[in-house]
Amino acid sequence: MLYLVLFFTLFSFLLYVLLGGADFGAGIVELFSSRENKKINRDTIYKVMGPVWEANHIWLIILIVILWIAFPVYFNIIIIYLHIPLTLVLMGITMRGVAFIFRHYDAVKDKSQYLYNAMFRISSLITPIFLGMSFSALIGGKITLTSDYSQHSFQEIFMFPWTNIFSLLVGLFYAALCAFLASTLLIGESKGEIRQMYSRKSRIFTSVLVILGFLLIAYGYITEVAFIEDFITNPVSIGAVLLSGVLLIPLWRSIKKQNRIGSRYLAGLQVILILFAALYAHYPYIIITAQKEVNLLEGVAPESVITTLGISLIIGGLIILPGLFHLMKSFKMIKVFEKDAEEAGDH
Amino acid sequence: MENLDYARLQMAFTLGFHIIFACIGMVMPFFMIVAHRRWLKTKNPLYLKLTKAWLKGVAIFFVTGAVSGTALSFELGMLWPEFMKHAGPIIGMPFSLEGAAFFVEAIALGFYLYGWNRLPEKFHWFTGVIIGISGVASGILVVSANGWMNAPSGFDYVDGDFINIDPVKALLNPAWFTQALHMTLAAFVATSFAVAGIHAYQVLRGNHPQLHKEAFKIAAFFGGIAAILQPLSGDLSAKDVAERQPAKLAAMEAHYETEIGAPLFIGGVVDEENKEVNHKIEIPNALSFLAFGDFDAEVKGLNEFPEDEIPPVSIVHYAFQVMVGIGTLLMLSGLLFFISLKKKSWSNNRKYWWFFMLLAPLGFVALEAGWVVTEVGRQPWIIYQVMRTSEAVTPMPGMKFSFYMYVVVYITLAFTVTWLMKRQIKALNADTK
Ligand code: HDD
Ligand code: HEM
Ligand code: HEM
Repeated sequence: MLYLVLFFTLFSFLLYVLLGGADFGAGIVELFSSRENKKINRDTIYKVMGPVWEANHIWLIILIVILWIAFPVYFNIIIIYLHIPLTLVLMGITMRGVAFIFRHYDAVKDKSQYLYNAMFRISSLITPIFLGMSFSALIGGKITLTSDYSQHSFQEIFMFPWTNIFSLLVGLFYAALCAFLASTLLIGESKGEIRQMYSRKSRIFTSVLVILGFLLIAYGYITEVAFIEDFITNPVSIGAVLLSGVLLIPLWRSIKKQNRIGSRYLAGLQVILILFAALYAHYPYIIITAQKEVNLLEGVAPESVITTLGISLIIGGLIILPGLFHLMKSFKMIKVFEKDAEEAGDH
Repeated sequence: MENLDYARLQMAFTLGFHIIFACIGMVMPFFMIVAHRRWLKTKNPLYLKLTKAWLKGVAIFFVTGAVSGTALSFELGMLWPEFMKHAGPIIGMPFSLEGAAFFVEAIALGFYLYGWNRLPEKFHWFTGVIIGISGVASGILVVSANGWMNAPSGFDYVDGDFINIDPVKALLNPAWFTQALHMTLAAFVATSFAVAGIHAYQVLRGNHPQLHKEAFKIAAFFGGIAAILQPLSGDLSAKDVAERQPAKLAAMEAHYETEIGAPLFIGGVVDEENKEVNHKIEIPNALSFLAFGDFDAEVKGLNEFPEDEIPPVSIVHYAFQVMVGIGTLLMLSGLLFFISLKKKSWSNNRKYWWFFMLLAPLGFVALEAGWVVTEVGRQPWIIYQVMRTSEAVTPMPGMKFSFYMYVVVYITLAFTVTWLMKRQIKALNADTK
């Protein structure tokens, strides 16, 4: 059962990174668009992401709930030491969520739309940056575990672990990843010139992503971030990263040709490879603090809890996944099945 | 004030905020599907307009409920890390099932919002039903987690360790049923009277009275039934509290002395220093009867408990009075509504509409007051007689700033949502003219 729970943990993490990420990314793409394209983008993402917009973000809740139920010791560290960046993430999620719904459901369309749009775009950029920064604190090796807080300064415990250049790079990297995912996804949701626009954007963000990735690894290596060092010296991880590097070539071609489905899968595969490489190098020690590495499986909840959680997750999954799939299919968000004429006509 | 006090204030404030949106998100779908069904049956465009107007409202409230709920699921851990470390695994079950319920709700909402003219009519309507059912299910599940804090069960507590954990038993703790029943009814009462009140105001303003009268009827119908059942369920809750949390009961009633055949106090000013209640109305033996079903039962007074296990008395007592007072008023108003369905002439009287307009906020006031009774009445325990709130709080200093930030953001949000609703109603009226 523990492995099942672990599977669901990773599964919801991955889906949040991919789907939640594409959602944030849509806002980032919009932020960096010309005025005319902003409007087009606004309508496109309403059509495409609207129906699953809510569902995409529940993965985060599922992830948090699994963590606190099954891995209480681990969760305890995250939630105490990352209090501040996570609060900022929550504020970002709040702003973004309400701005999205306000701009589409306000009965009167007037000047306030400017405000909603601005709020939506800016929080779409800021939230993933803070998410990345929170994540970086977990692997950055700068958290100081203590039970006597008066021994340390506030900054030392609650600020330094996530306010440093490495964290900022991770934050920017995740934001770029989001934008890359969104623009690649949107290639398949548009036609003609608009599709060209997304294809161009997708190539830009791919480049940004690759540059940031190199910077991140180089900086981590120079400043001796343990996580990066382990990552580089682990043959499997390096293999995965190299493979993702090689796969960049077909990805680039596919984006350039505006291939709708291929680009999407290749993009998803990139993310999975990078995540896999990062997690594999360290599993199960996923929190790295200044003193020690914390094992995810240390202090795992008792057997009876894991069993009931596993059963709940299976039942939940059996209800949810078909529903979600059907939702996506009904609104033509999954284009796998349509080998439509348009596709053929493109080549 | 200390860090702990700010953490408590923040918890109370954010929960108090979330619950309003959660209740609306839970109950409005039921109004919507009634109106939607009438549209499918009668093809009277009035009902379609109403459904769509309500739907836009639901979308706005749903998202506000969802984002504030997301914040809450982090906050439980952020504010009370020690509580979550031990309680998390035990009460995880309701939360994981709740997660599933939210998902179902979000999927159904996706179908419903975007399915107009795209899905088969019946199926589209049915997704609306699912929104309602899964909303209520998720409400019941969280309340069961709260019930566990009041009636901890499903584990053994040995030397500060929680062992032999049984999540199913924790989910079905002795308080879950009474609390879930009372809360579900409360959600219907509060939302229905609020919605009915808003439409009553529109009738008074003379804005498309036909439409608003229909809307009023749908809402008041749900609210009336729930309001009539509410005091009965409240009585069950009180008996439950009497049995398991005697200190809370004594605080609700502001009883300092242990008495056989205890009187019920109505109103009264609590003097916490001298441990007495002044200016009250006494009904002899009534409390013993209400709490234990026996006019001569013994009711424990607050003096019976150690000083450091007594909740703040006056807050709990006043909040309880407010809830019960409003509960009685709303029950009578519910009866009045059902009588008015027979006596058609009443609805031509402006006083009738004034009356229901003024009732609009009261359900929510009672609901917040009820939560104050439950939560403040449990103090100083976060897990009743197992863990103190002060042992659970975050070690991070500066909760003050976090609290003020939430206050500013949520109050801004509340104003914006109210303003949007006004625009929504204006647009509806302009549309139908
Ligand atoms: C519309 C709202 C509303 C109304 C009209 C009432 N209540 Fe209530 N009450 C609630 C809304 C509420 C609540 C907010 O939903 C609470 C908080 C926790 C809970 O489960 O329900 C609650 C709690 C609560 C409790 C404490 C339960 C506990 O701590 O476990 C008692 C004893 C009562 N109620 C009793 C009553 C009585 C005798 C009422 C008679 C008229 C009444 N309530 C009307
Ligand atoms: C008695 C108290 C509560 C009730 C009745 C309640 C009910 C609800 C309901 C019905 C929703 C759906 C949103 C909507 O339809 O508008 C919701 C959202 C949410 N609630 Fe609460 N809730 C309560 C307290 C809590 C608490 C204490 C937590 C945190 C642990 C929480 C976590 C959430 C989350 C995460 C969501 C968002 C889910 C989504 O995206 O749909 N709720 N709540
Ligand atoms: C949504 C309706 C709710 C409201 C309005 C509410 C209100 C409050 C209030 C007023 C307090 C502060 C008590 C004090 O410190 O004096 C509080 C504390 C707390 N509540 Fe609730 N509550 C609600 C539901 C819940 C639910 C469903 C849960 C858990 C699953 C919960 C968990 C807590 C916790 C952990 C605390 C802090 C510890 C404590 O003070 O005991 N609450 N809440």
